[in-house]
Amino acid sequence: MTSGWERYVREEQTRRMLLRRMGLTTMALGAGPVLLGACGGDDEAAQPAATQAEGPAKVPAASGRIDYLSWEGYDVPDALKAWKTKNGIEVKTNYIANHDDIQAKIKAAGGSAGYDISTYYQGYKPLYEQLKILQPINEQKLPNLKNLAPFWAGDRANFWVDADGTRTGVPWTWTTLGLTYDSAKTSELPSYYDLLDPKFKGKVAVVDDPAGSFTLASHVLGLQPDKVKKADYAKVRELLANIIGQTTGVSASFGDMTTKLTSGDAVVCWQGWTAMNKFAADAGTKTVKTNFPKEGGFTACDCWSIPSTADNVDAAHAWINETLDPKVHAAAADNVVGGVTVNAAQPMVSKAVSQFYPVEQLEASLEKAPLYNNPPVQSDEFVTFEEMLKGWQELKAGAKA
Amino acid sequence: MIRARRAAALLFAAPATLGLLVFFVAPLAAFAVYSFLTGSLYEVTGPLTLENYREVVGSDLNRQLARNSLVVGVLAAVASVLFALPIAYWLRYTTSRLKGLVLFLIVASFLASYLVRIYAWRTILGSEGVINSGLNALGIIDAPLTFLVFNRFAVTLALVHIYLPYVVLVLYAGLVPLKPSYLEAAQDLGAGRIERWRRVVLPLVAAPAASALLFVFVLSAGDYVTPQFLGGKNGVLLGVQVQVAFTGTGDYAAGAAISFALLAGFLVCYAVMALGLRLTGLSRVRFVS
Repeated sequence: MTSGWERYVREEQTRRMLLRRMGLTTMALGAGPVLLGACGGDDEAAQPAATQAEGPAKVPAASGRIDYLSWEGYDVPDALKAWKTKNGIEVKTNYIANHDDIQAKIKAAGGSAGYDISTYYQGYKPLYEQLKILQPINEQKLPNLKNLAPFWAGDRANFWVDADGTRTGVPWTWTTLGLTYDSAKTSELPSYYDLLDPKFKGKVAVVDDPAGSFTLASHVLGLQPDKVKKADYAKVRELLANIIGQTTGVSASFGDMTTKLTSGDAVVCWQGWTAMNKFAADAGTKTVKTNFPKEGGFTACDCWSIPSTADNVDAAHAWINETLDPKVHAAAADNVVGGVTVNAAQPMVSKAVSQFYPVEQLEASLEKAPLYNNPPVQSDEFVTFEEMLKGWQELKAGAKA
Repeated sequence: MIRARRAAALLFAAPATLGLLVFFVAPLAAFAVYSFLTGSLYEVTGPLTLENYREVVGSDLNRQLARNSLVVGVLAAVASVLFALPIAYWLRYTTSRLKGLVLFLIVASFLASYLVRIYAWRTILGSEGVINSGLNALGIIDAPLTFLVFNRFAVTLALVHIYLPYVVLVLYAGLVPLKPSYLEAAQDLGAGRIERWRRVVLPLVAAPAASALLFVFVLSAGDYVTPQFLGGKNGVLLGVQVQVAFTGTGDYAAGAAISFALLAGFLVCYAVMALGLRLTGLSRVRFVS
């Protein structure tokens, strides 16, 4: 019997490999430059050749200010401190409360220069491509790219390199979402459906992450999140409405959800995250744990990206390159409580973190908690990203399924 | 001479006027246009349509959130003024040495972060918060009182706490011209304590109180931060929908339409308030020194 994950990977793998090979073949026949020239325009995103120059990779000189846009902690202030001091880099941080802040802020910046470095997880790639908010990453400026683990560099989990070879992301940390709970107040829940037990009424927390919640609910129902038929949407909504019905309201962020756990206003969190264990421990509650119920969960692999607004592109490349150094990478993984994409970093990661993300069990972990795409931007057949967002806002305000 | 003064006044007002035009009027005009377009994923496209306004009025969700906004806005505004008035009155007429300290504390409360104040209420009202822990320790309750937080009550309470200092200062400023001799004169003319309040104090503070009332109402009804942390499911306000439209769904047109609908509601409230003051003659009450 073939699992959903296997089917999904095989399907994606086949499609991507085919596209990639077609792209490579086209370029090998010399048609690439002609086609690119014919496409013309000033759009840098349409010039993948710039990302794949010949010769050994060399990290560019980094200097000046980097405008950072992503989660608090992903800027790994301690791990990058020496590099920043050495290069005289100043980082202006712009932290997000949820993933959708990224596209909202980049789009709000319009054509003006602004954010130099950001992140996104694999599911957002199609949307960001549609919104044209990514610019190509030049692999020739990333000598440390060779450190990337084969799994993350290969075709199987490739969400970041287009068929024509254009890279728009460098995977750098991954995490698995499941249930986070206070072990002093409840035992580990074997199933997501246990959240619907009346004894948890008002004691469940849900974070304001529409794509994440939709993905997890679809997975629990045995559906593939990017291919939920419109007719099946009611099932997903019903599950989410029931889960939200068990809460006192949707939490504004993962930090807020952790506060609910540590203050006793919640006992268990849907779409829990291992980093919350650390957040809670830092706040003095050492009983917070994360488990993955029998239905599994989903994996989000965050990648570095250079937004279309970047005006310090060389420094952004140097930043990405530095985080692929095994030592820096390990310190960063400890900081964000995430899995590594550079295998050489794993031995240097603290046991408290590496226990959640053993690289040798990566494939087994992905079997239970796959890497998914978000709902499509446009589709007549499947629930779209926009429909998912609008539906979530209704559920959040207490609407019935 | 008058012409020269007028020219100087215009010259001095020009930078502020220009700033207002560029940074306030122009964006407002742009969003007014947006509200008549079609929005999707951070883009707006033509042609002109009234669909966004139809959605604002026709959507059950928006109507529910508008009701929440109205209830929370009115309660927060009325409670703020009712709590602030005695404090402002005491500050104006007390001879206590504590007056300076109290005024300092009121001003100092502005320095506390907005989010810290919101979380402070979570700490007080939460399941294991100060109130529940206290009542539990006293043996009054066995299980936490869950109605204290994550609802409209908690949002209103936090908003009153946040805006009370503003209202106290506005009313205090309104009472400053009302010298103690006015009240002594009223007393000499036979007015009792209640009569002095009704016929001297209240008419003179009516205008600043109305301003403070509107100020708190507008800011509370349009708030989108407090409801996210304290509102739960029934405390979500319409301001949250505006935020979601701009940062979540990227539907700028819908966000603009909700914003203008809110603005229209606020203008109606302003008109009603102004009319009320005029009909009761309170708008004409002035201090005469």
